[in-house]
Amino acid sequence: MPAVADATMIALDRVTRQFAGKRDVIALADVTLSIPRGEMVSIIGPSGSGKSTLLNLIGGLDRPTSGDVFVDGAALGGLTDDELTRVRRDKIGFIFQFFNLLPTLTSLENVGLPLHLRGWPRRKVDDRARELLDLVQLAHRLHHLPDELSGGERQRVAIARALSIYPPILLADEPTGNLDTHTGEEILSLIRDLHARLGSTVVIVTHDMNVANSCERTIALRDGRLVQDVRRIQAGA
Amino acid sequence: MILLRLISWPYFRRHVLRTILTTAGIVLGVAVFVGMHTANQSVLYAFTRTVDRIAGKTELQVNAGETGFDEDVLDKVQSASTVRVAVPVIEAVVDTNIAAEGHLLVLGIDMTGDRSLRDYDLESGDESVIDDPLVFLAQPDSIILAKEFADKHQFATGSRVTLGTVEGDKQFTVRGVMKSSGLTSAFGGNLAIMDIYAAQKMFGRGRKFDRIDLTVKPGHTLAEGQRELTALLGPGFQIEPPSGRGQQFEAMLAAYSMMVNISSAFALFIGMFIIYNSFAIAVTQRRSEIGILRALGATRRQIRWLFLGESAVTGLVGSVGGVLFGVLIARGIAASIGTLISDVYGVAQHTDEIANSPALLLLALAIGIVTSMIAAAIPARNAARVDPVQALQKGKYQVLSAGESRLRAVLGVVVGAVSLVCLSNGGSRPVFYTGYALAILVALLVSPLLSLALAKALRPVLKAIRPVEGALAADSLIQAPRRTSASVAALMLSLALVVAFAGIARASYDSIIDWMNTALNPDLFVTPSQSIVVRTIRFPAEMGPQLSSIPGIERVQMVRDARIVFRRTPVMVVAVEVNSIARTARREPVAGNADEMYKRTAAGEGLMVSDNLAQLQHLRLGETLEIPAPNGVIRLPIVGIIVDYSDQQGTILMDRSVFKRFWNDDTVNVFRVYLTPGAQVPEVRQRILEKFAGQRQVFVFTNNELRRYILQITDQWFGLTSVQIAVAVLVAILGIVNTLTVSITDRRRELGVLQAVGGLHGQIRRTIWLEALSIGALGLALGFVLGAINLYYILQIVHRDIVGTRLDYEFPFNTVLALVPTILGAAFVAAIWPAESAVHGSLVEALEYE
Repeated sequence: MPAVADATMIALDRVTRQFAGKRDVIALADVTLSIPRGEMVSIIGPSGSGKSTLLNLIGGLDRPTSGDVFVDGAALGGLTDDELTRVRRDKIGFIFQFFNLLPTLTSLENVGLPLHLRGWPRRKVDDRARELLDLVQLAHRLHHLPDELSGGERQRVAIARALSIYPPILLADEPTGNLDTHTGEEILSLIRDLHARLGSTVVIVTHDMNVANSCERTIALRDGRLVQDVRRIQAGA
Repeated sequence: MILLRLISWPYFRRHVLRTILTTAGIVLGVAVFVGMHTANQSVLYAFTRTVDRIAGKTELQVNAGETGFDEDVLDKVQSASTVRVAVPVIEAVVDTNIAAEGHLLVLGIDMTGDRSLRDYDLESGDESVIDDPLVFLAQPDSIILAKEFADKHQFATGSRVTLGTVEGDKQFTVRGVMKSSGLTSAFGGNLAIMDIYAAQKMFGRGRKFDRIDLTVKPGHTLAEGQRELTALLGPGFQIEPPSGRGQQFEAMLAAYSMMVNISSAFALFIGMFIIYNSFAIAVTQRRSEIGILRALGATRRQIRWLFLGESAVTGLVGSVGGVLFGVLIARGIAASIGTLISDVYGVAQHTDEIANSPALLLLALAIGIVTSMIAAAIPARNAARVDPVQALQKGKYQVLSAGESRLRAVLGVVVGAVSLVCLSNGGSRPVFYTGYALAILVALLVSPLLSLALAKALRPVLKAIRPVEGALAADSLIQAPRRTSASVAALMLSLALVVAFAGIARASYDSIIDWMNTALNPDLFVTPSQSIVVRTIRFPAEMGPQLSSIPGIERVQMVRDARIVFRRTPVMVVAVEVNSIARTARREPVAGNADEMYKRTAAGEGLMVSDNLAQLQHLRLGETLEIPAPNGVIRLPIVGIIVDYSDQQGTILMDRSVFKRFWNDDTVNVFRVYLTPGAQVPEVRQRILEKFAGQRQVFVFTNNELRRYILQITDQWFGLTSVQIAVAVLVAILGIVNTLTVSITDRRRELGVLQAVGGLHGQIRRTIWLEALSIGALGLALGFVLGAINLYYILQIVHRDIVGTRLDYEFPFNTVLALVPTILGAAFVAAIWPAESAVHGSLVEALEYE
């Protein structure tokens, strides 16, 4: 097992995820990796390679069949559902491909959702939500419902929601997969900008090489196995 | 059929719980229908079976209601040319003093001729008792028991049996035990035979018989016999086959039967709603499946019949379950009805068998299937109209389109206006009932719109309680009104009926208390039986002066009451000393002048009638009534109409002198006793008991005890309200579980997102609980409003068509307050399982849920 150093934010130690069914499917096989604090990592691979499964395991949305997952030094194995939820709530922001905004809540309410769930006072929730929507340049769309926003605007709201507690970890599952090229580039630029400003550890699952190449590090998966792990020298580094 | 196997069966298997909940709606409706009607039929069957078994070979019976007639009527009947055999009978239901045994039906017969009508085969005992009727006469304490009764209590020939008689508890000697036969199984086997003249003495009949059983001569028809005897005896007698008594019994139960019918109809209607809800949701959820079928070539007709076929299968399965469950609960209901009949109507009952009528069960099956198919008709039509292209657009058809909302609102206004017109012109029965049906229809038309409006109004409240959970719960109702509205409508209907029944009960209590305050104000009541409604045992009039002589008693009033047949309906005749009553319990009439009314009635120049009799029989002040009696026809005008609750079918009040003249009967059912000022009730009561100890059986009730007894009977009569509340709770639970199960499926992704962004299990559960409580609250709000309207209509129906009594409109606030925690509690219980299922399962699958 690799040493979970203080600088390590995310670590996987021989993690396997198997789905039982008519035929067992091994989505991830014996994956070991660690991601240091503040790094921006992309995970690439063809369809069915296990990218989203890896992201779900890191985010505590799923549990490995074997092996251990560590987030900010704490092992996720053995935690109850509510304990896992607390880890997600306190340390992880999720950005989904299909945005997953609640359709009956306004932008302001969607962004404030995780904070209400933490029991924050209403005034404080409101202030933080406005601040975040301002950060993603949507201050003029506070009271709009998701149906009234463009795809790019919805994803910005989803990003603002993910940042609600300024989490140390940001996980993004195909964040531009449902957007046109131009909007996708805007979103990617926003994520990079936020990474630079907030210093979060960012993990992006993508099949888009442009997205992958814009990250400091790319991990490639194939058939559930880690086949490549490349660190780039960034311009200005 | 192939589509049912390929499409429907896999769907049922995948959604087992939902299928069960859908079927449960029909089970509930059919079970209530079968249970109540089977119980009713069983009670009637028990009564008619007793009548038939006792009747034996009897072809016609002569009776004069409950009053009986003089012995000389027998001579006249026996002299008729069409009569072969005619024998007198006395029937009395007495206390056995055996714990938990209840009553014994004693048949007083004249053994001389009775053996040609009934079989008396002794299993053991002195055959001479049967062979030589004089033995019975010589030993008046002789009694013959049915084998069933004797075996149960280990009585044998020579045993001594204690029975309550008008002279107090008396010991009788068992002279024989009859073999099991048709006769001995009458009244559940609790049957005894004694000599008729001994029965006259023991049960206070004087020189009267209760009825005459007869057969006609060969070559003559029953109709000929009836005609001859009617001509011979006059109009004061009923001459009919034994089955005629069953019809009178049924007429007596008309009020109760009507309430049972209303309850059953509502239960079935509510079951329909649950089916409609389930199929409406199923069609919405299976739109893509329907679209695929249509794209592959299924016609609209095939799609419609697919869903109708599913509803028929659901209806069949639900009906079978409902029939089985209904038969199970019938026993409990029959026992309750039996007690009610005994306590309210004074007709002793022994319902030990449930009469399962194949015709009723088949009818219930058919009703269940047809109801289910009718309920699914609109969803099936909508399914047939699904456009294959649009079928993949999820969620669109959950909302009420603006067009549909407008249509509902317009229809609601139009139908409501028509209903109001019917109400204002509700003189005729069809118009009135049409107006009632339309009023219910309006409620059903606008309930989705009102549910939506109320849910929107509730959102800020729920959001204030819990910002996320509350808002999402309200949004779930607002975004999918179709999913919610049928559950809310079913709950609304159910609660509307509860409110109506509770309102009637409340109004009845208040009216009865008012009546008791004026009419039942004596300090003590002296009766020959522990049950004040039993009229088969009576006091002699001579007891009156004996009572008056007791220190502390100022006044004694004699009351004779009996049920007679008036215009083919059993009504109560109450004969009192009107002059005395006028001084102590004077009542203001609802029609007529009080002074004139009492004066003329006391003089035997008029009659008073109860207002419910006036309503049911369309009688008016001044109208001359013709009342057939054994000694002629009474022709007297109605001189006053008063409020009286002595009998549900109505009461005729006359002076005792008139009753005595026309029935030759001066016996007494109840003595009303007023004490002198300063006399103590317990002391005077004790004196009365001591005075008659050893001479006759006497029961003394205080005023409070009588009031409690009457209110207790009223409670029993309104026991149906409790059944209805139980149905409402079941409906709430079924409907809400159904709605939430679908809601959780529809909101799977939303609930997954909530967990993904940090929602704990408790917070997820809370949103489901709040949704359930909101549905309960919507149902309560609409149910109370419809209940207020329904109460008005039901009061009108009670007045016009059931008992004729005019009851005040009193909204049952107490019941309503009790219903709030009951229904909200039921809603919470309904949410427990769905809330648990919402927090379990794969989060990843929930997020990817389409």
